[in-house]
Amino acid sequence: MSAWLCAIDHKRVGILYMLSALLFFLAGGMEAMVMRAQLAAPNLKLVAPEVYNQMFTMHGTTMIFLVAMPVLTGFGVYLVPLMIGANEMALPRLGALSFWLQLFGGVLLYISFASGSAPDAGWFSYAPLSEKPFSGGAGLDYWALALLLITGGSIGSAVNLIVTIATSRAPGMTMRLVPLFVWSTFITSVMIIFALPALAASLVMLLSDRLLHARFFDPAQGGSPLLWQHYFWIFGHPEVYIVVLPAFGMISEIIPVFSRKTIFGYPLMATSSVAIAFLSYGVWAHHMFAVALGRNFLAVFAASSMLIAVPTGMKIFSWIATMWGGAIRFTTAMLFAVAFLLEFTIGGLSGVAFATVPVDWQMTDTYFVVAHIHYVLFGGTVFALFAGAYYWFPKISGRMLDESLGRWNFWLVVIGFNAAFFVQHFLGLLGMRRRVYTYPDLPWFGALNVISTIGAAILAFGILLFCANVLMSLYFGAPAGDDPWNAWTLEWAAASPPPLENFAEIPRVRSRRPLWDLKHPEAPDWTRA
Amino acid sequence: MTKRDQLGMTMFLIAEAVFFFLLILACAYFHALPRLYAPWGWILTALLLAGSVSIWRGWRWGAVALDAVFLVGLAGTPFAMLTAVLGLFVLAGVIALAVIPASGRRALSLYWYFFTAVWLVIFGVAGQV
Repeated sequence: MSAWLCAIDHKRVGILYMLSALLFFLAGGMEAMVMRAQLAAPNLKLVAPEVYNQMFTMHGTTMIFLVAMPVLTGFGVYLVPLMIGANEMALPRLGALSFWLQLFGGVLLYISFASGSAPDAGWFSYAPLSEKPFSGGAGLDYWALALLLITGGSIGSAVNLIVTIATSRAPGMTMRLVPLFVWSTFITSVMIIFALPALAASLVMLLSDRLLHARFFDPAQGGSPLLWQHYFWIFGHPEVYIVVLPAFGMISEIIPVFSRKTIFGYPLMATSSVAIAFLSYGVWAHHMFAVALGRNFLAVFAASSMLIAVPTGMKIFSWIATMWGGAIRFTTAMLFAVAFLLEFTIGGLSGVAFATVPVDWQMTDTYFVVAHIHYVLFGGTVFALFAGAYYWFPKISGRMLDESLGRWNFWLVVIGFNAAFFVQHFLGLLGMRRRVYTYPDLPWFGALNVISTIGAAILAFGILLFCANVLMSLYFGAPAGDDPWNAWTLEWAAASPPPLENFAEIPRVRSRRPLWDLKHPEAPDWTRA
Repeated sequence: MTKRDQLGMTMFLIAEAVFFFLLILACAYFHALPRLYAPWGWILTALLLAGSVSIWRGWRWGAVALDAVFLVGLAGTPFAMLTAVLGLFVLAGVIALAVIPASGRRALSLYWYFFTAVWLVIFGVAGQV
């Protein structure tokens, strides 16, 4: 036990990130199920309105800050040193400190439940709702302090990943040769360095308002609630890409291996990630179209929001082109990767719709937004995480995940997810407001909501099946061997699970597929360039 | 100082630069900047600058003493969120400087130069009494 508590080895720290994220995922999932049960029929009163407010606040905060960010960081911390041929992270103690800061932040957030006043102002806690006169309990204080800790941990892990990628690559591995997952982790880490401080500044000002009687966000005393929105979304929109870009990187590793082709347009994939990162800092106000910002302001942010779809679309086409003509093997990892393409595209297209100002005006704060964000973050990030889990579990544990259970897991998640969230597009178009604990018995509202709740239950069952698969495979799974997928990147050159030092000998890297070069000395990649 | 330490500290300070830029911007916009007595502010500035020179010359305990005096002096100014936040970072730096081994102190010198610069900006834009 103490070996895990004091761990600084990147593999153990990475596993700790993933395990803590899984536990918070289950907690956030339970909060979602409470909400879906409450919404299963019109005018239900299973939970009080105050409890419902706490549920959607904790669900959003948990899924963004305690699941999506930590689990992606966990994959990065575990895999990046292996992929670049390093024995360790560059700053291992900082890596461990960052994890514990994030975990303590999460624990502090959940202590607010015990204090009897969990935060209840939504995951973006708009002012003045988050100010003392409207949220008088200690819940928002817990929320802000917890997020400050998580922010510190996230910045620490981002610094560590940047330094590791910049200074610890194997001999010969230039940035033009690193795997795309490493590229996306590097870009994401740089984004964290520039985006998370905006959240930290907002939180410090919110705490000043609440605890020290400052007046940053209180219009009655000369402050401005809009300042919160600007600062929060300067962080918040890059945040969407912070939790999506590493998922893109995972897909860019998985699709080529199971299509038996190299990735189509590697330079395009890397530069499109840079373009997404750059553009993501210029689109924050599309979350504020309902605020009277002025026509020119709206036009600029509508255009920039549409523009960001271009590099994202390039990636989709590159993945399709990679599969085109390939010898595709539909393992569970590949099934999730293909489903990711479809689900994320749906979320991306509804995002482009939202970039159109009148559409946003009509749809803002309806269930259309809920559907959109879940197609991006679940259909995108979580589907990629499932793909990544099935792909890298053999490396992490030394055992294969059961493919039969994996297929059940896949179909339950796909059916449950689409049943739960696709119908929410229609609910939004019909005018159902989000963040309201119940709704009147209007035409279609009851039927669509019950479909959504049944879908959520199926989705929950699919996720529990995944947890069961992980537990069973840890004990009874088939031995994986070092390279069960016949893959090409360096992590598969290490033993499964990798020893403390990762590699007995680090090969000189001369192409983007160093393991292919080792396996095929008669036709290495670098001779084709 | 290793390349890793230097790069790591630089990345951390970039994040801090964004953080303080946004805080100072908000404080300036809402007229919430600290109000400092001019002679007192100059003394605090001199203490931080002398602390940075001490770090540069490798006088560890001199820097710790000067910056500890700075913190005491800062506590004597009218309370303001901006100076309180800066004070917390300086306090963290003093503790770190007192406990970390010599190998890490070179990277920490960047930290001191940065927070001295942040103080100069705050003092420059602060209301003078």
